[in-house]
Amino acid sequence: MPLDGAARRAFEAVLDPQDVLSDPVRCRVYECDGLTGHRVVPELVLLPRTAEQVAAAVRVCAEHEVPFVARGAGTGLSGGALPVADGVVIGLNRLNRILEVDPVDRRAVVEPGVTNLDVTRAVAQYGLYYAPDPSSQQVCTIGGNVAENSGGAHCLKYGFTTNHVLAVEVVLPDGSTVTLGSDTGEQQGPDLRGLFLGSEGTLGIVTKVTVRLLRTPETVRTLLADFPSVAAAGEVVSDVVAAGIVPAAVEMMDALAIEAAEEAVHAGYTIGTPAALVVELDGPAEECGSTFEQVRRICEAHGCTRLHIAGSAEERAAIWRGRKAAFAAVGRISPDYFVQDGVVPRTRLAETLDRIAAMSRSAGLRVANVFHAGDGNLHPLVLYDGAAGETARAEELTSAIAELCVEMGGSLSGEHGIGTDKACSMPKMFSRDDLAVMARVRDAWDPQGICNPGKVLPTPRLCGEPGKYRPHPLEEAGVIERL
Amino acid sequence: MLHPTDLKELRDAVLDSSGTLGIAGAGTAADWAGPLGPVDAVLDTTGLAGIVVHNPGDMTVAVRAGTPLRQLQEELAPHHQRVSLDAARVAEGATVGGLVATGDAGPCGLAFGSMRDLVIGVTLVLADGTVARSGGHVIKNVAGYDLAKLLHGSYGTLAVIAEVVLRLHPVPEREATLAVSCSLTEAAELARAVLAGPHEAVALEWLGTTPDAGTLLVRLNGTAAAMDARLDRLRPVLPGAVDGDDRWAEHAAIVRGGPGDAVLRIGVRPSKLPGVLTALPARAITAGLGTGIATVVLDAQDVAAAHETVAAAGGTSVLRRRPAGASVPAWGPPPSALKVLRAVKQSLDPAGRLGPGRFDPWM
Repeated sequence: MPLDGAARRAFEAVLDPQDVLSDPVRCRVYECDGLTGHRVVPELVLLPRTAEQVAAAVRVCAEHEVPFVARGAGTGLSGGALPVADGVVIGLNRLNRILEVDPVDRRAVVEPGVTNLDVTRAVAQYGLYYAPDPSSQQVCTIGGNVAENSGGAHCLKYGFTTNHVLAVEVVLPDGSTVTLGSDTGEQQGPDLRGLFLGSEGTLGIVTKVTVRLLRTPETVRTLLADFPSVAAAGEVVSDVVAAGIVPAAVEMMDALAIEAAEEAVHAGYTIGTPAALVVELDGPAEECGSTFEQVRRICEAHGCTRLHIAGSAEERAAIWRGRKAAFAAVGRISPDYFVQDGVVPRTRLAETLDRIAAMSRSAGLRVANVFHAGDGNLHPLVLYDGAAGETARAEELTSAIAELCVEMGGSLSGEHGIGTDKACSMPKMFSRDDLAVMARVRDAWDPQGICNPGKVLPTPRLCGEPGKYRPHPLEEAGVIERL
Repeated sequence: MLHPTDLKELRDAVLDSSGTLGIAGAGTAADWAGPLGPVDAVLDTTGLAGIVVHNPGDMTVAVRAGTPLRQLQEELAPHHQRVSLDAARVAEGATVGGLVATGDAGPCGLAFGSMRDLVIGVTLVLADGTVARSGGHVIKNVAGYDLAKLLHGSYGTLAVIAEVVLRLHPVPEREATLAVSCSLTEAAELARAVLAGPHEAVALEWLGTTPDAGTLLVRLNGTAAAMDARLDRLRPVLPGAVDGDDRWAEHAAIVRGGPGDAVLRIGVRPSKLPGVLTALPARAITAGLGTGIATVVLDAQDVAAAHETVAAAGGTSVLRRRPAGASVPAWGPPPSALKVLRAVKQSLDPAGRLGPGRFDPWM
């Protein structure tokens, strides 16, 4: 049902009329997020300037039953901020103030439109930083990080957004404002803050975030090592973990990803090597030094063909530049690509990569692999040429890879979210009852069903009627039982 | 008393009974939070015990909810792995499910958080017999709602926890604690200095019977090779420090309280902690100077006022021991999100079968 005039007037009454965009040309800017294959032009875009205006706008939505979608920087890769037809987008970029920095209690209070990196920039003078570091951290916003429970390269050791957010102020789908969590993160009763973090904008809109800050580690040591095979690099990861070492980050890239990244940013990676590992350790100087030696020995024991230890902050930055450039860099070797985000148990990495290689061959599409090896979070990049009619085949391969991760005992998504992209794959990972309980929880927060509808949980409209039940892979393996 | 020994029996026990249900694990927190009201049956989870699957290479373990954490730790130890949770009642046999349901954590919460930060998957049974899972067996996972979080701190009011999947950490080669005698105010200054340095303390707790005199404990985890050097660097920050490895039992004893004690767990901004604690008529205190989480032992009649004092400082509080027979308020002023809590309860347990009284008078 298109927006009626009364709703439009009500939005213009609670916001400055210039902050209500209705011109389709201007609204088109908001038609998609980082998942550019899905586009819907919203009826209106609302750009509130304060938390009170967000609440007022949501109250209008509730009163007029207008679906709304919150949006930060629009860098999400799963279509979580895809607009809803006949609905409004509530853009939060103007709520971009850092409200408080408290170096003594090591926390900052920020509005949702502040970018991830700006938090760290604002606190660096105190020797502090905000730990979650998604690759998009220069542009992605804290509000979006809260919605997606974003991770990053360093979450193996330091955890995810949920481990670093103490409290959130949230506008509920009825327009009322509540605080979840507390100054210490302790919650009286169920951990509603934890449920909200990662709920992909389906339970409310965050308007204020209290984040925990960490002291910048005294020592950071980073190495880049080449290996004759992905399997050898995988064994290094296993041995490092088995030695009781928790690296700050362990990243792996395969030949195709290395080639693309190196050609793009010339970070000193070896073109032609089958696999490269980036291992970073941090901590007190005494400890970091000896543990780093241990990692170096493990690399050598597995036939490392080249080992480069960053000798300066610049060299370290170069190694990371290569790694972080990989996504965009594949654009140089392929006209189009999809990014996947599945997770497998670390011990099944090599097997999974073999299967992906086989699937890639039979689909006739190249797949570049860049991933967080420490926690098994893969980022296969499916390369294709849309102009050559390869889009459907690439989408099929992409979904098949995500579902392969579930089959391996893992997850559809490690950090990009389910959003629109993978909602229809959810029944591969969760039973009908699992999803029904999640839907009951959602209904408790949003009984009108107006808060980012159509995301996360599969709907018949989006995915068709559910098919015949198939046992979950873990059920077949006897790890879980279905009654 | 219902005593299921597997998931099917658990579901059947919920389905075949009618009326209200209390959930009991080892009973180490039976007198925490609001008193369980009269119930038609008690569901004993201790028969749901044992590891379902431990993947040492992935550092994850799936375990039935009635398993004592202490026992789980013993089984993980040969693999040099552990669940990084040192809540005081673990030593008394507290179950994994109970530790999640009560949102418990101990001193090393400074580095590892509470159960919410360690649980990566859950299997639950709702009051209508629905069995559901969320999360999974991998540490990094954002697929679907994280229902384990919802059960964390739910005190058995939303669902029965049947199984949890936990992330594990390596057992550090060495743990070492330095102890300094000091007042709470002095401890806060010392804690600030420790946190400002590169020491990476995993626990930072002051304990004492009055704010004027007590002991600050600073615990480090790390490699055997580096520990002595790290301690040498920490000592000048803590003048007069001595070895404190054996002092943690005293800390746990305060947290547990004794017969006749009321124990309150509170949380406020760390810098406000000394002020708030000094204002309370506490008979014993543990103060997490890095986390802002403290435990105070009080007389029963002082609890209501203590809730108010903590709330006025913007903090949280919950009763963690009720003297037998005493009527003591478990909770302070209700949180702003109470209506969400009520709506979730209504959605998952509309008949109000599970854990009546635990959130009295909130819901």
